Amino acid sequence: MTHIFLKDMVYRRTRVVMTTIGIVVLITLILLLGGIMNGMRIQVQQYIRSTEANLWISAEGSGGAFTGFSLLVPEYLVFINHTKGVKRNSVSPLIFAHARPVINGKATKSIIVGYKQGKLGGPTQTIPNQGRMFTPSQYDDYRPEDQPPAEVVIDEKMRTPSGRKIPIGGKIYIGGKELNVVGRTKSLMFVLDTPLLFMDLRTAQEVLLKNSLHVNMMIAKTEPDYSAEALVEELDRNGMIEAKTLDQTLTSIIENYVDEPMKAVQFLRVMLWLAAGIIVTMITYVTTLEKTREIGTLKAIGASDYYIVMLILKQVILMSSAGVTLGVFLAFLAANLAPIFVKIDLLETSVVAIISFVVCCSGGYLASRKVLDVDPMIAFRGEL
Amino acid sequence: MIVQAKGLTKRFGEGLAQIVAVDDVSLTIETGELVIVMGDSGCGKTTLVSLLGCILTPDNGQLTLDGQVIDYAGQDLSQVRRQKIGFVFQLFNLIPYLSALENVIIAMQIGGFSRFEAEKRAKDLLTQVGLARRLDHRPAQLSGGEKQRVSFARALSNNPKIIFADEPTANLDSRQSDNLMNLVRQLRQEQQTTIVIVTHYQALQKDADRVIYMQDGKILTD
Ligand SMILES: Nc1ncnc2c1ncn2[C@@H]1O[C@H](COP(=O)(O)OP(=O)(O)OP(=O)(O)O)[C@@H](O)[C@H]1O
Ligand SMILES: [Mg+2]
Repeated sequence: MTHIFLKDMVYRRTRVVMTTIGIVVLITLILLLGGIMNGMRIQVQQYIRSTEANLWISAEGSGGAFTGFSLLVPEYLVFINHTKGVKRNSVSPLIFAHARPVINGKATKSIIVGYKQGKLGGPTQTIPNQGRMFTPSQYDDYRPEDQPPAEVVIDEKMRTPSGRKIPIGGKIYIGGKELNVVGRTKSLMFVLDTPLLFMDLRTAQEVLLKNSLHVNMMIAKTEPDYSAEALVEELDRNGMIEAKTLDQTLTSIIENYVDEPMKAVQFLRVMLWLAAGIIVTMITYVTTLEKTREIGTLKAIGASDYYIVMLILKQVILMSSAGVTLGVFLAFLAANLAPIFVKIDLLETSVVAIISFVVCCSGGYLASRKVLDVDPMIAFRGEL
Repeated sequence: MIVQAKGLTKRFGEGLAQIVAVDDVSLTIETGELVIVMGDSGCGKTTLVSLLGCILTPDNGQLTLDGQVIDYAGQDLSQVRRQKIGFVFQLFNLIPYLSALENVIIAMQIGGFSRFEAEKRAKDLLTQVGLARRLDHRPAQLSGGEKQRVSFARALSNNPKIIFADEPTANLDSRQSDNLMNLVRQLRQEQQTTIVIVTHYQALQKDADRVIYMQDGKILTD
């Protein structure tokens, strides 16, 4: 009953609630922005990891399979396949390209994955009873007259302009060519919920490259006893191709698709922290000014500066912890309701919570130093 | 001898605008005395009481409280205040969001009492000042006289060596003033408290051990 700081907070509850809401909103935003970036990081890796390939080969000087523009001629396939340490016949030529298929007259975002059925790079999670795989190309090697059926398998997240699922048997258009949807996959997405669209390598070459024989990359696995790092070095020595390990590929793709473009967002998050600190500092400062008379009285009757600063700090700590806790809670709630994939990392949450708490408390402490300036003589004087 | 002041001087402002609010004042106050301080507005009464109560630091002079010379440079004056001094203010200065009881308890917690002791003693004190049935009232729910009684209970709560009251009746009507001064008399009789009161209240003069008249920062008659 004598927790004076609590009574004070009840007395000034509107201000306390508003300050807390301010902190809650900012913490939620900080965490959500982090969650969006984290979601991007997860999605950008998802497909690459799902292939289970650990050698990623692109054209020399292209800057990497996903991050640069790489066109390879199929002749390298034989060379790579015969490099010692590369798993025999594991090399898979691949087309991986952003495209805007037209559905019901409207373009939508997607990523085309063209691969050879049975090789690395295909969909891992097709939905049972949701169609079938596309019919593969007739020949194992490249022939100009080879015309694979215009069939695709899409991710279920790919929608019509009105937001409906695209039915099996539906039609989409890429490069003016009509393609039949024959099957659906689940949760195969690239960054920012971009659905993957699988088709035969030859179909992809037809719609994207005017039936030329190029591919974007070749992926492969190493033999069990061989290190990917060593093989990458050896393949690189050829001078015409650029090889990367799984880790190198992931690092460069995360940097290219998430970390680099999201720098502004990181900056914004720091600004939000600053805003949270400023809110607490300002409100504590104003409240302290308003309480000058009360503080002067407490000083006059013998309260030390420490006692009064602690009184204010306890309030700041309570508001900050409430704000941070509710902010975390709200962020997780919002992450679930968000229209894109948001994944709030638990470790990051604790770090954000601790930093936010420290920032808010430091702001409050700074402002509470104003107490030191209060003259206890004020207790003898009339209204200010 | 509870208070001994030698040559206390306090100036405010600078240059031509400088005011010597308390000018070379020396005085002693004995244990158990009731001292009344009078004088025209602006003569330095509040300043003197603040100096004696260790709220203000003098520009010159020496103050001995309860046998201890105050070391203004090295000592924490707030500690002196909470251990030795009680204050009653003209404008009551109760904490608005605390009940009468809590207003007394908070002073005692500052003074170092445990919560349990504080609550018990605070109830006793408020009963003593006639507020046994107002314990849970907030200042806004109390009359001026009742508020000032809470102030007295608060001032007494840490067993101070001396209480300073600066015009405690200035915001009370005459009936409430009479009641409050009766309380002062009663406290004197029951506890032999040393009290210094700045007041224009005439009827108390006959109870006082001493009446000090001030003028222009100096003690005129004692
Ligand atoms: N902080 C201050 N700054 C400047 N001058 C001050 C300050 N405090 C007091 N004074 C001046 O010192 C003089 C004494 O003031 P003080 O408040 O002690 O008078 P007082 O006798 O208590 O008057 P009253 O009866 O009106 O309360 C006054 O002239 C006042 O203007
Ligand atoms: Mg005065």
